[in-house]
Amino acid sequence: MLTFILGFLATCGIGLSAFLLLNEFKTKVAIERRERDSARRIYELAILREIGDRIGYSLDVTQIVDIITSSLHQFIEYAAVSYMIIEPEKVMFKMHLERSVHRRFVTDVRDRMLSSLGALLDREFKKDDVKEILSGAILLEELDEPVSSFFNIPLVIGDKVVGVLTVSDTKSGLYKEEEMTILYKLIQQASKAVTSLQAVVKAEQEKVSAMVESMEDGVVMTDADYRILVINPAAKRIIGKEGQKDITIFDFIDNLGGKMDMRGRLEESVKLKKNYVSERFDINGKFYQAFVLPVKTETKLNADDVLGGVVIFHDVTREVELERVREDFTSMIVHELRTPLSGIQKTSELLKLPAKKGSGPQTKKFVDLIYQNSSGMLDLVNDILDAAKLQAGKFEVQLGPTDINDILENRKQFFEVSAGDRHIKLETLVSKDLPKNIPLDQQRIKQVLNNLMSNALKYTPDGGSVTVSAFVHDPASSVATETAKLRLALPSPLPENAFPANKHSLVVAVSDSGIGIAADLMPRLFNKFQQLNNAAFVSNIKGTGLGLAIAKGIVEGHGGNIGVVSQIGSGSAFYFVIPFNDTLLTPKA
Amino acid sequence: MSAIVQMLHLVIFNMSDDTGQYAALISEIIKKQSVILGPEIAIVKARSVPGLMVDNDGKVTGVGDNPKETLQNLVDQYVELSGQIVKNALGSIFAKYPTLNLPTSNK
Repeated sequence: MLTFILGFLATCGIGLSAFLLLNEFKTKVAIERRERDSARRIYELAILREIGDRIGYSLDVTQIVDIITSSLHQFIEYAAVSYMIIEPEKVMFKMHLERSVHRRFVTDVRDRMLSSLGALLDREFKKDDVKEILSGAILLEELDEPVSSFFNIPLVIGDKVVGVLTVSDTKSGLYKEEEMTILYKLIQQASKAVTSLQAVVKAEQEKVSAMVESMEDGVVMTDADYRILVINPAAKRIIGKEGQKDITIFDFIDNLGGKMDMRGRLEESVKLKKNYVSERFDINGKFYQAFVLPVKTETKLNADDVLGGVVIFHDVTREVELERVREDFTSMIVHELRTPLSGIQKTSELLKLPAKKGSGPQTKKFVDLIYQNSSGMLDLVNDILDAAKLQAGKFEVQLGPTDINDILENRKQFFEVSAGDRHIKLETLVSKDLPKNIPLDQQRIKQVLNNLMSNALKYTPDGGSVTVSAFVHDPASSVATETAKLRLALPSPLPENAFPANKHSLVVAVSDSGIGIAADLMPRLFNKFQQLNNAAFVSNIKGTGLGLAIAKGIVEGHGGNIGVVSQIGSGSAFYFVIPFNDTLLTPKA
Repeated sequence: MSAIVQMLHLVIFNMSDDTGQYAALISEIIKKQSVILGPEIAIVKARSVPGLMVDNDGKVTGVGDNPKETLQNLVDQYVELSGQIVKNALGSIFAKYPTLNLPTSNK
């Protein structure tokens, strides 16, 4: 019995010992596994951190993959590490050989990678489209060993496959699941980082895009191979390709018609890293100046690398027009001054000669000529001064109670002689209810009437008619009714919206039976620069072309507005409207 | 009685037919992933799926008791390894098996 008990206890002791030993072993294995996992995790993190530091904030996939592949040798063995990146026109295949292999090895890896891309994207890639770059060890014919171990890692940014990375070797069964999984994780981490960064960049890009889209200047950005990456609507408009989606540099080459060598200038700018400013050139009736600049990267890794070029088409049509106007204006002024000055000089020369007996009447004639010429020049200078004051916003009117009827009669008498010479009927039509004390600058209003009446006479054929009319516009009535009541015949009705809606106003119109003005010219008549361009048609008596611009300034100085209605072949009516205080009206009986 | 036997026979027959289709579908998936990722990693990951048996050429020899779950686990393995994009590449394979009751996320 005792033997049995001792035997039983011994057995239990052995069992217990075995149980404790087994437990200890299991714990040890678990600890070792945890330690191994921790070590692997720390290793993964260390590698990820190193790669992360090297990548920085790059968004260049090729650069990122380059950094990853150059770090791989630290923890995995391979004969070759390679990657393929899908580019718009080719597939870039880059392989780094850690040790020499046969050419067939390279071709085999390349084909496997192409198959991987094809399977991922469900499309076929042609071998001819692959651009191959080899680096590292040399190829050796005697090392004819096949690809025995390899694995591909798809390169995905956002939700788009951009390429594939492959690790390969001639030894079979080389890669363990753990090693391969680390690499997949590593690539996934890099992909996530780039995707997040791209989302941030995309948001910023959208802001910049909105700005570029709304720019009036044409903006075109190309990559280093002169493919257009960014183009705004203004740039498309310049070459007449509004609405066209895909624009290439050839569209610009075709439409610029050799006036600006865009391709050549971009090449120069990108290669030499320098800016270029073109001469002015015209396309489709507009003038442009092109600025070509290289686009450089600012990242630490590739500082100053040129990514492409940008071309800005600045519309200088307005500047060109202004220059032309200035030139025309200068030549006009020189011409207008030279003629009277020559007259004065020649007359003075005659006066310098010893006086002959009985030359008194001739001397008076010479002095009159000098007076006329100098008066003409003074008027011209005054016009220029008035135009300068208007431009500077310093034009002022001196208001005083005025009977407009007196001014109209005075001007009628002044122009009657020249109208009579050409058998032009000059008449005035004035409504009886015109207040006699409207605050006006009499001299300036005379200046306006001089301009309008002289123009009317100038462009009315002999035997025609010119009518100067004045009436009060009542906001409660219509202009059509008021002109009809006055029996005023106009080439076209006056626009109702040109008159104040809540105040009475003085309306003065100078209408003629002249040649009329084309509709497209009318909006520009009161602009002194445009007017000068059409000086042959609308210039005033002195020919400066400033008359209507000054008249506009004078009327606006009275708080009014000036306008014109016209019919080709029927005549024109220039009118101005000056509002006045209703208290000036005579109470109706 | 004979009708019940006939019905049971039909159910059993259909189940085994489905299992065969699952095996064929999974074989195709492993084959495609072998092209995309390489055969070594594709087979290693397939073998880590409980119930799934794969030979050295990637051919399925067993799909376990619940082939639908096995299929889902396999796809999850590949997605965990290299992202959703590898699953997208399987669309054309799933389309070839319209009668199979595929896991919802793979439809």
